[in-house]
Amino acid sequence: MPAATDSLARLAARIRLNAARMVAIEGFGYLGQALSSAEIFATLFGGGCVRPGQDRFVLSPGHYVIALYAVAAEVGLLDARRLNEYGRNGSSLEAIGTERTPLVDLVCGSLAQGLSGAIGFALAAHLRGEARDTYVFISDGEMEEGQTWEAAMFAAHHRRRMGRLVAVIDANDSQVDGPVSSVTTLEPLADKWRAFGWRVAEVDGHDVRALSTALASRSADAEPFALIARTEILGRTRSLPRTLDGHFLRLDEAQQRALIAELESALA
Amino acid sequence: MREPPYPTVLKPYGEALLEEARRRPELLCLGADLTRQTETDIFRDALPERFFNAGMAEANMIGIAGGLARAGHTVFVNTFGVFCTRRCYDQIAMAIAYPALNVKLIGFMPGLSSPGGPSHQAIEDVALMRSLPNMLIVEPSDAIEIRQAVAALAAHRGPAYMRLKRGEIPVIHEHDHPFDLQHAQLLVGGRARSDACLVAAGMMIPPALAAARTLSEHGLAVTVVNSPVIKPLDAATIVSAARASRLVVTAENHTVVGGLGSAVAEALAQHALAVPLVRVGIADVFAESGSREFLFTRYGLDTQNIVRAVWSALGRGQPVPRAPVLETPPGAYAPV
Repeated sequence: MPAATDSLARLAARIRLNAARMVAIEGFGYLGQALSSAEIFATLFGGGCVRPGQDRFVLSPGHYVIALYAVAAEVGLLDARRLNEYGRNGSSLEAIGTERTPLVDLVCGSLAQGLSGAIGFALAAHLRGEARDTYVFISDGEMEEGQTWEAAMFAAHHRRRMGRLVAVIDANDSQVDGPVSSVTTLEPLADKWRAFGWRVAEVDGHDVRALSTALASRSADAEPFALIARTEILGRTRSLPRTLDGHFLRLDEAQQRALIAELESALA
Repeated sequence: MREPPYPTVLKPYGEALLEEARRRPELLCLGADLTRQTETDIFRDALPERFFNAGMAEANMIGIAGGLARAGHTVFVNTFGVFCTRRCYDQIAMAIAYPALNVKLIGFMPGLSSPGGPSHQAIEDVALMRSLPNMLIVEPSDAIEIRQAVAALAAHRGPAYMRLKRGEIPVIHEHDHPFDLQHAQLLVGGRARSDACLVAAGMMIPPALAAARTLSEHGLAVTVVNSPVIKPLDAATIVSAARASRLVVTAENHTVVGGLGSAVAEALAQHALAVPLVRVGIADVFAESGSREFLFTRYGLDTQNIVRAVWSALGRGQPVPRAPVLETPPGAYAPV
């Protein structure tokens, strides 16, 4: 499906450009999160994975809500004119997701709480016999919190009651103090999830074809599914210095212009 | 109201919860490896498909409860008070209280009712839960109030924390006891003027009643206010009783920081009442292991200490009247 792949790659480029423009208003924000997860959000919301109104979508790290707004504006879930409100005083498009955040079933600003909430949704759907899939977006840094693993154990133990539970992990090796691998390594990540009873796929998180293929796969044995998407915090953009703090990007005007020009040229 | 020693019953909470669950198909029960201890074996055995054991993983349990409640369920979460509040405070704040979800947190073994030492004694659970917006706090004093509280909490929309004594539960109130989630009640006194107004809840109701009896036998007019709903506090009833009194004494099985005593102090101050206030409770210390009798006496939660607090605050001098020690037959309950 090369055409679909092309359009998802293009959607990812639009996500990055939207996010860069949103952040350019103040010159700082959670831009790295959108740069690293653009293909993931493009595939989840532009590739027919998350069915709005039917499936549950949980955004565990609320700092990624910028990517959700950026994709929602492209697929008709959010008025694109509202993107300018991102992070502004009084706006419901807050920089870190809150209870006011539109478009999600649950978003957590305090990290590593999303999978537990997703399990609650999955159990509720099971109890009512509802045909909903449950998607939860997780970032690698928050897996340092023990709650992640409490939840992973519970989901595997109750696999017959989880319906289709999919955790998409943005493994961008970035947290506040630097690379996750330099703070407290999570590797071997795939082995950990497997050991906790999950089916695991590991793909290049900037490859929409690989993401689509993995997300379309089904478990024969009702195991919950962890998709580890290996990404880079700056999303393989070339115009930004590698030395920037990816968790919370501060860009001067020249850097903003260079980034936006690069992203626009990718779409030309 | 009955007189001590009080008859006791077992598992009034567990029975009441099952009764509510049969009436409310959306009601679910979660626990963390303490099923029999939290009286929820009754629920598990009767409605196994609506019971979930999260194992010893409270943070995850709270998150799951939040997800279930967002999907429309009423969720009762059961464990010991310490693990229910201390261990997963951020999860309660973010996954339950902030979104104001329909989750009822049930914490067993309040204050010094556990022999297990500081790790098992929930001495600051009320303070923690009181500081969370949207959180309602209930502390029933007997089996009658427990049944009434379970029904009221199941009907209430929003988060709540209830602290419950474990094991043998006294029966103090009559079946027509007027309980709701808005009101404190005058159990004793309430005449135009009184010497002392005692405000208590939960396990401090029996010693407060016993202290009031001893004090009245020694010539003092004493009012006893039962305040099973600690948040939102029924300030109107308490302030009205306090206004008619020379002294207010709060009694709580909890640290004096942030619990019922603090709530009453705030209410009195906000209503500009210049009445002396004494807070009987755990004096801002961690306790130790020991029996209820030992701990209540050592940390000042016993009847005699309430008598002493009132007597000395009113400047009555020596000797302080002695509260009689009740003979307690097996299976009965009397205050320390």
